[in-house]
Amino acid sequence: MSNPAPLVDPSAPSSTPAARVKTSRRLFSTLEGVFHEEVFFLILSVFIGIFSGLAVVCFRLTIDWMHLALLGPLPQTHSWRLFAVPSLAGLVVAALVMRVFPGIRGSGVNQTKSALYIFNGFIPFRTAVGKFICAGIAIGSGQSLGPEDPSLQIGASIASALGRQLEISREKLRLMAPVGAAAGLAAAFNAPISAVLFVIEEVIGRWSAGILGSVVLSAVASVVVVRSFLGSEPLFRIPVTTFKRPTELIAYAVLGIAGGLASVAFAKSIGYFRPLLKALPRWTQYFQPAIAGLLVGLIGFLGFPQVMGAGYDSMDQAMHGQYAWKVLALLAVLKILATTVSFVSGTPGGMFAPTLFIGAMLGGAVGDIERFYFPHLTGSTGTYVLVGMGVLFAGFLRVPMTSVFMVLEVSGNYEIIVPVIVANTFSYLISRSLQSIPIFDLLTRQDGLILPSLEEEREETILRVEDAMLPVPATILSAQDYVDANFRRVQNSADSTFLVRMHPSGWNTATRDQLQRLFREGKGELTLASVLSSQSLPSLYPDLPLDSALRYVNDYPLIPVVNRADSRHLEGIVSRDSVFEKYGSRRAIEVTHLDPL
Amino acid sequence: MSWQMPKLIPRSAPMILLVLTLAAATGFAAVSHLVSRYTANQQARGRKLYALGLESAKASHYDDAIAAFRAALTCDPTNSQYQLSLARALRDSNVPRRLDEAESYLIALWQRTPQDAAVNLALARVAAHRGSIEDATRYYHNAMYGVWSSDLDANRNKARIELIQFLLKQGARAQADSELIALAAALPPDPAAHLQTAQLFQQALDYPGALAQYEEALHLDPGNSTALAGAGETAYHSGNYSSAQRYLRSAVNANPADAESRQLLASTDLVLLANPFHSHISDAERNRRINAAFSQAENRLTACAQQAGIDLTKTDLTNNNLKNTAPASALPGLQARWQLAKPDLNLLRSPAETDLPDSIMDVVFQIEEQTAATCGQPQGLDLALLLISQKREAAGQ
Repeated sequence: MSNPAPLVDPSAPSSTPAARVKTSRRLFSTLEGVFHEEVFFLILSVFIGIFSGLAVVCFRLTIDWMHLALLGPLPQTHSWRLFAVPSLAGLVVAALVMRVFPGIRGSGVNQTKSALYIFNGFIPFRTAVGKFICAGIAIGSGQSLGPEDPSLQIGASIASALGRQLEISREKLRLMAPVGAAAGLAAAFNAPISAVLFVIEEVIGRWSAGILGSVVLSAVASVVVVRSFLGSEPLFRIPVTTFKRPTELIAYAVLGIAGGLASVAFAKSIGYFRPLLKALPRWTQYFQPAIAGLLVGLIGFLGFPQVMGAGYDSMDQAMHGQYAWKVLALLAVLKILATTVSFVSGTPGGMFAPTLFIGAMLGGAVGDIERFYFPHLTGSTGTYVLVGMGVLFAGFLRVPMTSVFMVLEVSGNYEIIVPVIVANTFSYLISRSLQSIPIFDLLTRQDGLILPSLEEEREETILRVEDAMLPVPATILSAQDYVDANFRRVQNSADSTFLVRMHPSGWNTATRDQLQRLFREGKGELTLASVLSSQSLPSLYPDLPLDSALRYVNDYPLIPVVNRADSRHLEGIVSRDSVFEKYGSRRAIEVTHLDPL
Repeated sequence: MSWQMPKLIPRSAPMILLVLTLAAATGFAAVSHLVSRYTANQQARGRKLYALGLESAKASHYDDAIAAFRAALTCDPTNSQYQLSLARALRDSNVPRRLDEAESYLIALWQRTPQDAAVNLALARVAAHRGSIEDATRYYHNAMYGVWSSDLDANRNKARIELIQFLLKQGARAQADSELIALAAALPPDPAAHLQTAQLFQQALDYPGALAQYEEALHLDPGNSTALAGAGETAYHSGNYSSAQRYLRSAVNANPADAESRQLLASTDLVLLANPFHSHISDAERNRRINAAFSQAENRLTACAQQAGIDLTKTDLTNNNLKNTAPASALPGLQARWQLAKPDLNLLRSPAETDLPDSIMDVVFQIEEQTAATCGQPQGLDLALLLISQKREAAGQ
């Protein structure tokens, strides 16, 4: 980094053109010095947020425009348009996906994750263009899919393209995709916190402090852009939500159980049908989105047009008690069917909005039934609808943190945090116990990829230093003592290597042979400190991952494990054998538990 | 297809930022243009849908109106007028489930413009639909003292009248009465307004208040037959039979087809002719009226007993507390009292017996009250006697 120079030299004459050029050059060279890679990456994150926000604004306008142009402004039932439009649009989308934009099928979350872990952050810019056009047509024509996941992929694609243009380092380029993904999702959802959490939970798949700042900056920047164009109106008009008595948590727990079961049904239906349809001959893929459109359109034609498209208006109406519980329950079931059909057909589009829709309808239905049998329950239909949204998010997408914050961010009401947490916990646990692999992981595995996940990380038992730690040895030598005294102490010991406590701090080792040799050489009157190497042993702490011990075990026979509060206090030792033995026993357990299939 | 994006951005960090800033600015400008064109199109579409919704609402096709207003709102989500109209249509559709949504739209509007009288009025109507007196009163008051786009006084009075009608419907007469007093104080010099207020006073059973409003209307429009009839009726109900006779006679003269006023006038005439306690009659006339009332009471008692199948000979003279006795079982006792009082008629001429008219008429009044309770509202002279009885009782209280 070059030394910073003053931005403007006060003594320099700035009136002549030559002087002005000189000042500009100096300013540029100063800026060059300031923008080292970390700072530059943060600034770049803001630009990614801006560009993603602009793209998502256009994407939303496209969907709205397509909807108006294809289905008309007024909702209709029993109109031929309802099944003709999504069918024909399905044909167009299929042709584009098959011929022009391969690789834009599905939601886009997995592709973004694959870019991060497999393709070094590379997402073709054509993906953004294709996703924009095809998802816009599909959702606008009424396919039961949402705009959030495509927005996420569009954001990631823009970020990746920008990173490649700027030829930033491979390490940073890999991180561009999640930064763009957060921006795209935040813009689509108008909820930056949920977007950040989702990207961490689902796209990055692990907590990483290094990227958090960039993800947050891009998410906030994109939300600011979207709000400046489309206003800060929330997705839903939130009704009054109340939670008064702790006993009502039982009602929310029941909702959580119902949501968990619905999540499993939804995930299993997608998991079952997707590979079946993918296995069909390639030419059928030209027609699968059209058939899906026809089926979804038929549901609309038969009196339930609410299931078509993202369905935010219907969620809003459910939140304000516009549907009876039977209608709500039916809409939840039909939406599962419609979304399964749309998604497994390979139509580009997301699952966020359908998940929220199913959760909202299920929440409203369960809430209404509960309130019918227990009229003293104080939660309004709107409260159950909101909690229901979180429940499906937790159960189906398996992002428990995001699910809680999403409800809070959308509702702006912290009073329902406890019901949300209780219901989501039940839903998440039921989903985990009945569907071992989360939906996004299932989809990536069906595509032949295995990517890390936060759930996997949460379940992973990390070996720590304390697991391989041996007790404090009976004989610890002191560097302050004479060699002959130390030699006498170890003469009858079964061990061959001994730990030496250095003064004033630090540790070293000495072998019995070494002490014997020094004694024979007549150096018995010397202190051990004077004859040992001045280089101290590295020390470890009990809570460190055992991997950190691997760096030392080949170089040192013993490694002291000390207390974090007092480095002179020895907690134990690790040796090469103890570390390897621990890894060996772990591997043996893992091999024993391997699924024979 | 392998297509590589050309390298467009230079390598120097400041230049990169400059290019990115320019690109962002260009993007902003382009998207702004796009959004403003799209918004203009959407607003135009919204206006069409809104007009469609208004037509449907006017024709009471609320489902169509709601769909049109919803569609208009998707075109222009922040338009207050659309939201207000949608809320009104949701409320007026008379589907209880829709009230919640109407209220949520209105509350959102109210939070933006709490002083808006139209929004407060709509919220008041939602609260009135729910039967919530407290909320409705609060919002109606907000509407009255809120900001109206035009006709401040007229709109304010309309809102107050609506509140009064709601309160009367809910049986909150005391609250309605206080609102009526406030309304009466702010009325313009318009006979129709005074007539409407008088009718509300009448519904609130505040007959003096109603009479004052009818008289005010007559002051502004002396020949108004509705006001004359109303004034006569309220004077009649408040026991002011002289005024009632005057107004009702004028009402019948002004509108001979007014059968109700004619009937009330007949009753009023009978009351004035039968009342033995009238101050401007001679002793002889008073005694004549008492005698007539006494014999009328006996006829009424006998007829009523026959109608109800009661044997008047089964007399219980020990029961003096007629008011706490079932009307039908009180009739034999009254017959006995009537028999006991009959000789007293001859003593009426005696100047020493000053309490006698009252005691005789007390028997008459008791007979009329109990027979009315047993056999229903009487007609003619019996009705007149009953009214005199009620007036005496009210004066005594």
